[in-house]
Amino acid sequence: MAVEQKSDIVELKIPCKPEFVGVARLSILGIASRMQMSYDDVEDVRLAVAEACTTAVSRAMKANKPDTFLTIRSEISDTKLTIEVEDSIPPTSTDLPEVPQSPDDIDEESIGAMLMELLMDEVKVEASKHGGTLVRLIKYAG
Amino acid sequence: MNLKLETRSVAKGASIIDIEGEIDVYTAPQLKQQMLDLLDKGATHIVVNLSEVEYLDSTALGVLIGGLKRLRERNGALDIICPNPRIRRIFEITGLDKIFDIYSTEEEAIKALRGKEGA
Repeated sequence: MAVEQKSDIVELKIPCKPEFVGVARLSILGIASRMQMSYDDVEDVRLAVAEACTTAVSRAMKANKPDTFLTIRSEISDTKLTIEVEDSIPPTSTDLPEVPQSPDDIDEESIGAMLMELLMDEVKVEASKHGGTLVRLIKYAG
Repeated sequence: MNLKLETRSVAKGASIIDIEGEIDVYTAPQLKQQMLDLLDKGATHIVVNLSEVEYLDSTALGVLIGGLKRLRERNGALDIICPNPRIRRIFEITGLDKIFDIYSTEEEAIKALRGKEGA
């Protein structure tokens, strides 16, 4: 008989504005610290989640929608940490920007995508049920 | 969350920007402005001192890359002082350690700057 895995869920809703990305970072630091992860892994999760939030904030600014919100939903289990960052700006593309081949081709958006890919075990961008964009980031424990 | 920025002139056309705090999407515009001010004043060499920086993200890296491109257009350079291994790792995993000259101490950065000026 399969043993059902227990998981805890933490949800944080913040204004989709630059000054609140630091709040998400602090919160994720606390959440990731609850996992069996090294200090480096916790720091990696913090940066990757901040990059997902920063991308959403930049998109909200470009779309001139400063009054929208960002939901950061973290699911903590024994084996993995899943973090979903959801905004309410419809996606223009669910493809992550391409990882640049040469450092000279690097721009801000591609660095953000690159960092998420490099720091997390899994990254997926999709249209959310609520009409926005959802970035799912997974880090496995141990 | 605060960012402290201070600029020191170290030679003609060369300045060090000392940064303290966290550079992210909220605070990076301050660094960008500081850099633009130096460029407007004719800077050809900027050294960004990240010794007291606890955190930086892609927006900070974007500002640094933008500054480097502008300085290279005038045959200048943007160098980094970064003794913090966590921050340095971000440059390394993104491959940016290959386009920036990164030094562990101010002394090393200044020595290299003098070499570049003499080149």
